[in-house]
Amino acid sequence: MGGRLGFIAQRLVKAVFVILGIIVLNFLLIRLAPGDPALVLAGEAGAADPKFVDDLRREFGLDLPLWRQLLIYMQGILSFDLGFSYRQKQPILDLILARLPQTILLTGTALTFAIVVGVSLGAMAARHVGSWWDSAITTLALLVYAMPQFWLGLMLVLLFSVQLGWLPTFGMNTINSGFAGLEHALDVGRHLILPSLTLGLFFMAVYARLTRASMLEVADLDFVRTGRAKGLPEGRIQRRYILRNALLPVVTYAGLQAGYLVGGSILIETVFAWPGIGRLAFEAVLVRDYNLLLGIFIVASVLVIAFNLLTDILYTVVDPRIEMGT
Amino acid sequence: MDFLRRFARNKGAVVGAVVLACVVLLALAAPLIFPETPWEIVGPPFRKPGEMGFLLGTDTLGRDVAAGIAHGARVTLLLSLVSTAVALSIGVVLGAVAGYHGGWVDDVVMRFTEFFQTIPNFILLVVLVAIFTPSITSIVVAIGIVSWPPLARIVRGEFLTLRSREFVQAAHVLGQSSPRIIFGEILPNALSPVIVSASLMVATAVLLESALSFLGLGDPNLMSWGYMIGASRTVIRHAWWISCFPGVAIALTVLALNLVGEGLSDAMNPRLARKARA
Amino acid sequence: MASRRQVLGSAAGLLAGATLGLPRTARAQQKRGGVLTAILNPEPPLLVLGLNQQAPTQLVAGKIYQGLLRYDFDLKPLPSLAKSWTVSPDGLTYTFTLQDGVKWHDGAPFTADDVVFSCTKFLPEVHPRARASFDRCESITAPNASTVVFKLKDVFEPFLYAFLPAGAPMMPKHIYDGTDYRANPKNATPIGTGPFKFKEWVRGSHITLVRNDDYWKPGRPFLDGVTYRVIPDAAARALAIETGQVDLAQGNDVEAFDVQRLAALPHVELHKRGYETVAPISWIEINHRTAPFGDKRFRQAMMHAIDRDFIVKNIFFGLGRPASGPINTATRFHDAKAVKRYPYDLKKAEALLEEMGLKPGAGGIRARIKMMVLPYGEVWVRQAEYVKQALRRVGIDVTLESNDAGGWVKRIGDWDYETSFDFVSQFMDPAMGVARTYISSNIRKGVPFTNTMGYVNKRVDELFEQAPKQTDAAKAQAMYSELQAILTEEVPVVWLTELEFPVLINRKFRNVNIDANGPNSEFDEAHLA
Repeated sequence: MGGRLGFIAQRLVKAVFVILGIIVLNFLLIRLAPGDPALVLAGEAGAADPKFVDDLRREFGLDLPLWRQLLIYMQGILSFDLGFSYRQKQPILDLILARLPQTILLTGTALTFAIVVGVSLGAMAARHVGSWWDSAITTLALLVYAMPQFWLGLMLVLLFSVQLGWLPTFGMNTINSGFAGLEHALDVGRHLILPSLTLGLFFMAVYARLTRASMLEVADLDFVRTGRAKGLPEGRIQRRYILRNALLPVVTYAGLQAGYLVGGSILIETVFAWPGIGRLAFEAVLVRDYNLLLGIFIVASVLVIAFNLLTDILYTVVDPRIEMGT
Repeated sequence: MDFLRRFARNKGAVVGAVVLACVVLLALAAPLIFPETPWEIVGPPFRKPGEMGFLLGTDTLGRDVAAGIAHGARVTLLLSLVSTAVALSIGVVLGAVAGYHGGWVDDVVMRFTEFFQTIPNFILLVVLVAIFTPSITSIVVAIGIVSWPPLARIVRGEFLTLRSREFVQAAHVLGQSSPRIIFGEILPNALSPVIVSASLMVATAVLLESALSFLGLGDPNLMSWGYMIGASRTVIRHAWWISCFPGVAIALTVLALNLVGEGLSDAMNPRLARKARA
Repeated sequence: MASRRQVLGSAAGLLAGATLGLPRTARAQQKRGGVLTAILNPEPPLLVLGLNQQAPTQLVAGKIYQGLLRYDFDLKPLPSLAKSWTVSPDGLTYTFTLQDGVKWHDGAPFTADDVVFSCTKFLPEVHPRARASFDRCESITAPNASTVVFKLKDVFEPFLYAFLPAGAPMMPKHIYDGTDYRANPKNATPIGTGPFKFKEWVRGSHITLVRNDDYWKPGRPFLDGVTYRVIPDAAARALAIETGQVDLAQGNDVEAFDVQRLAALPHVELHKRGYETVAPISWIEINHRTAPFGDKRFRQAMMHAIDRDFIVKNIFFGLGRPASGPINTATRFHDAKAVKRYPYDLKKAEALLEEMGLKPGAGGIRARIKMMVLPYGEVWVRQAEYVKQALRRVGIDVTLESNDAGGWVKRIGDWDYETSFDFVSQFMDPAMGVARTYISSNIRKGVPFTNTMGYVNKRVDELFEQAPKQTDAAKAQAMYSELQAILTEEVPVVWLTELEFPVLINRKFRNVNIDANGPNSEFDEAHLA
């Protein structure tokens, strides 16, 4: 038992250090970013007399010495203040929090789809090695693996929205529709299909390959042979012994992939105008709103680290060895 | 020869090599086939493929999509190769140092590597390029910075096993310097996994570069495939061809690189290859 | 009515007064009721017009707050909170008579004290453009509750153009006097005199405005309310107009390539007017301090090498007019006859470069220049790509540089650039928005949107100084015509496009877009068809 707790505690400490590292990296990047936000705002107000610019600098603390700015920045982060978007004139955390649930919905759906379908396909391919099923699944995985996700998304839009007219192209819901309750949920669901499919396909390919390879490896191990020798039914061997053990690398990998998933959401949300933090990041890129971009970077990193932690814990549940460990 | 025979046994790898050769050829021949720059407005906008002699149509401003694909091949391949080289130099040096020295050096380098593996690398890439303003240099360096960690781990692993081998011990006894042992003795013996992952890294770099350009973070003076898709994304309802063809080009190139990478891996590690195909 | 309006716009413009400056169509009996739903993008930071004049703020707050005057499409002043006004013959004293029975949304009466408070205290502290306007005044006084007198230090003929709602919104004295304006808790519930009152703001979703039943204009407004929907995505905005879920889109709400498609729909009407108060011109800004840009022949060659019609047609998809010179055709004192024309002509461009001694070298390149791309969205990137190609044809090799908004403004302000795209609003009169980028007294390092090119011409300085001091409009016009002739000869910047913005309105509403302030104005005449 202590082994599991110790393992988790060790991971936690590590996570804290990584987050601290990211905060420092982030501040360095903010300092490296060129430009003076006060001048930008002054420009947008249609006038730029020096007094107005000075007022703005004071308002945002840009007139302070660097070390004080760093201190203020650290304090801010610790009290969940990620700074201010000079472009959108709103606190960055507010902007991100307003978009976060949509991103979690999208990436969550995509990941679930990818794992369920990917693992099933991989298991199927492994069980029937060398069959046409196997080669079809392997080829599909290879193809999907090679396509740029943003392009795949556009092509799916062309097919399902423009040509066939089955699914909505953009956004998360029908504007001003007045939908409520179940109707609203269904509306969002329809909008969710294409983006989550696009985002999920790539990871589905990854999981299919991974599951196949790892099941083939496990199938060779002693305890499986022993099981077979004992005359256990093949289905049971597949599920209880092979799949469960083969899932270990899949779980580990899911943790590692979380970062790619969030990164991919920048592209997918851009293609589908999905109102999440990925789309927000793209908007920030368009107008080069560095503060916002860096805020998203911090939040996304923390999310990924949290997800890694979660998979680590999950690992201890799935892995019989850690369970039995001292 | 033995190596080539083993590589040729993998049909996918051969197909990949052929496709890759075609892409390289296209890149080399681009200035001959399309002497104008791909930015040149050569016709009316929004011509469909085949119309007015434009094989792949024209884009929103009347630029030839085919010329863009050909010149884009140069840009995309070049940027991907150079950024892989950047990632290689960071990854090999750090991995070698960690694996060779072991102990606390190994610890520090590996924590550092883990840190870079944990943060979402595509977002870091976008942040880096946006802040240092998009240019060839910033793109290449940024892709290198986010891609080296897996390589460092591989190299470290190789070094950990190789450093206790007899030929290394012998070099120590002969009084060779550490850099000499690292680069002269151990590295050549650790090359095959490095080459395999390098070929896969080029594929990843192609995808990363395309994604950056798609988001408008490419060098504004270079026409790359990702840029073409990004610039025509909003008009996809009216003009599918502008974004479709560059994507096919990317997918083919990445597929070819992946196949070649697998082929190399098989050819260099016959034992592993047989196991994976079991 | 008509004759009075002519007096207003007549040469002297000394004496004027009108009760209601309404378009003729508004005369008939109108239907009451209906809620107009409009697009809002992005969401404004706050709705207090005195404190913030960003585009989305103006859009919503323009229904809540008002100025003393409005301006028709030809920029003639019309009454708003001021019923009538007179200008003394020496051009130094402006006397405004206020409308009767005007109340703030909280019921307090609107008086001359509010005007004096707004123009002497509130606005000069927080509103840079208003500060510049009212710095010209020796005194601003209220002899009685319905009269305000502005005494100028010097003649400034365009002074009547300082009273746009966004230029000088009237703010309630009883709420703000003696407080920290920016931190006043009432900022969350804006109080104005306009036809619509603030009701609700659900961040990220919508802002609801409802009819002000105590509005001072009898029988107005017709609409029950105006709702602004926040729709952050361009494709979704276009779809909302297409399906009729939203009745009004404006400015950059809809991507240029989508405008014509939407305008062709039976239920949608396209207006291109309503932006005369800003009338921006886009141009290539040129740093005259470095070679070869100091030579006017180089700049003239650039004018000849760029096909401005192509830009309007293929980059702005027909929205906008090719720019011919420094003063927008929509701004006062534009003179089409005075400007020197630069037709698209590669031969002439090459001849000019040849004359300068810029011979084609390797690859036919005569000169290499750097150009900063505007960081405000894709259309500017497309324009940059076109210009790069166009200049390449005459042997000018352009390297494009991309920056973030902060980096871009800083480099322009610090003169750390060779050439750059830019666009600048004109604010109705050349003295307000044009002079600032050409006069040598406004060469101020570190301050953007000034004469950052470093252009110096004594005669230009003199004309820009004297023209607004003319009480005789003909004299002012002669000076501005001379200015346009000089500037188009010297080409301090390469003018590209007079930007136009679309206003897309559902045909079930009428009289929505009726003055130079377009979608930003009150909507007190808008009604259901």
